[in-house]
Amino acid sequence: MLLECKDFGIEFHDHDRPERAVEGVSFSLDAGEILGIVGESGSGKSLTALAIAGLLPRKKLKKEGEILFDGQDVLRMDRKALRELQGDEICMIFQEPMTALNPTMRIGLQVEEALRIHHREMDAAARRERALSCLADVELPDPEQVYESYPHQLSGGMRQRVMIAAAMVGGPQLLIADEPTTALDVTVQAQIIKLLQKINRKEKVAILFISHDLSLIRQISHRVLVMQNGRLVEQGEVEEIFEHPCKDYTKQLLSAIPRVEL
Amino acid sequence: MKKYRNFNFICGAVLTGFCLLIVLTGLIRTPYDTTAMSVADRLSAPSFAHWMGCDNYGRDILSRVMEGMRNTVWIALLTVAIGTLSGVVIGAVCGYFGGLLDDILMRVNDVLFSFPSILLALVIISLLGTGSLNVTLALGIAFIPSFARIVRSEVKKQSALEYVESARLMGAGHLRVIFVHILPNILPVLLSSVMIGFNNAVLAEAGLSYLGVGVQPPQASLGRMLSEAQSYLFTAPWYAIFPGLMIVLMVLGFALLAEGMTEA
Repeated sequence: MLLECKDFGIEFHDHDRPERAVEGVSFSLDAGEILGIVGESGSGKSLTALAIAGLLPRKKLKKEGEILFDGQDVLRMDRKALRELQGDEICMIFQEPMTALNPTMRIGLQVEEALRIHHREMDAAARRERALSCLADVELPDPEQVYESYPHQLSGGMRQRVMIAAAMVGGPQLLIADEPTTALDVTVQAQIIKLLQKINRKEKVAILFISHDLSLIRQISHRVLVMQNGRLVEQGEVEEIFEHPCKDYTKQLLSAIPRVEL
Repeated sequence: MKKYRNFNFICGAVLTGFCLLIVLTGLIRTPYDTTAMSVADRLSAPSFAHWMGCDNYGRDILSRVMEGMRNTVWIALLTVAIGTLSGVVIGAVCGYFGGLLDDILMRVNDVLFSFPSILLALVIISLLGTGSLNVTLALGIAFIPSFARIVRSEVKKQSALEYVESARLMGAGHLRVIFVHILPNILPVLLSSVMIGFNNAVLAEAGLSYLGVGVQPPQASLGRMLSEAQSYLFTAPWYAIFPGLMIVLMVLGFALLAEGMTEA
């Protein structure tokens, strides 16, 4: 088991009254598996992802339960140990590929960033070679040219591919994808989904795929978690959930999918 | 619009280039020794021998203007360097980490900011004593608050963007995030404030030297020449006109250059 989340909860303490954002969430993720988390806005799915990535702020926040990555508790790790994991074992891609890349840095340098931090033994030529092969793996045409480009010279879809390449460069075990296709148009969405599936098969990386789009989740995931108001409503194999939902909320969600009937 | 921008930029570049040329020539040699006096030439008008005339001791004004400009540029550069470096460090730390440290440093900053920078510099000089080194230090300290404030607000703005989060997620440490990822993104803003800061420093140095607390004689300074020229304003107007003109050209050239660059 790669990731195990036990009775995880978050309570914010930055206002007068404590506010519970996530409560009693337990699930696990095996190596090489694609787990989808689906839920409406504010259901706590992104917060859960940030917690796994170790990106939650340290103050004004109470964390409950445990999140074990390879047996180590990410929630209570010291910052140094956490940084060892980040970028090397756990990586994340974001919703907005427009703002997730540094506008003043060449693509090549950004893809190499994780190598420069975690693999100091690699020299410039080896880093470049690795970055180029990653850019080729995400099916970008002409990696050499992309390597030398700045983010504003690429389209949204290309930028999201670059983000994936930058995430994969260190050979992580877990890739967290927080609504990675929401900002993209539908044809590009489909390409990115295919790409993520291919990477999952080829590199054996586990993917935590977060979305509010049920059809995408159904397409890509092996298993699904349904979240609402910070709680886990239901979890199970993807076909089981979609064909035989047990809980009312899941049924409502599924019936809300617009169907084109001719 | 584009043409207009180019006009600003070109004028600025020409004026700045002209001033730099004078400074550089002055570095290699000046027409006369800057301290050589000659009684015969006292307050003599501009001529082929003395292009800008002579002062009340019979010293060549062109030579002294060259030396004065060199001192001014030197002091202004060091001032801006002190202000920028300290301002960037303080501003970046405050903007990135926030919290109690930010509150404390920014309140101190507010107190410093509430003094006019010349007044603040005068206070520091009265503590340290006069002289060009102390003027540089005093002005540099007086300039820190404005730089710190600009850098802080920019860093705060950039820290909220996703690329910073994604850099942190790559395992980058705080220093790496601040200096490798964020700083290049605030350079355009920083650059224009550095250029405005340079202008302010030139004017402040001239002002302090005019008041007699800046560059000390026998070293030449544009501000000091202006104050000495006051007594001869009607008998030898060139004594005041040329140093004053050079200050105006220097500041105007740099301001136009900055304007042209920020509009680019």
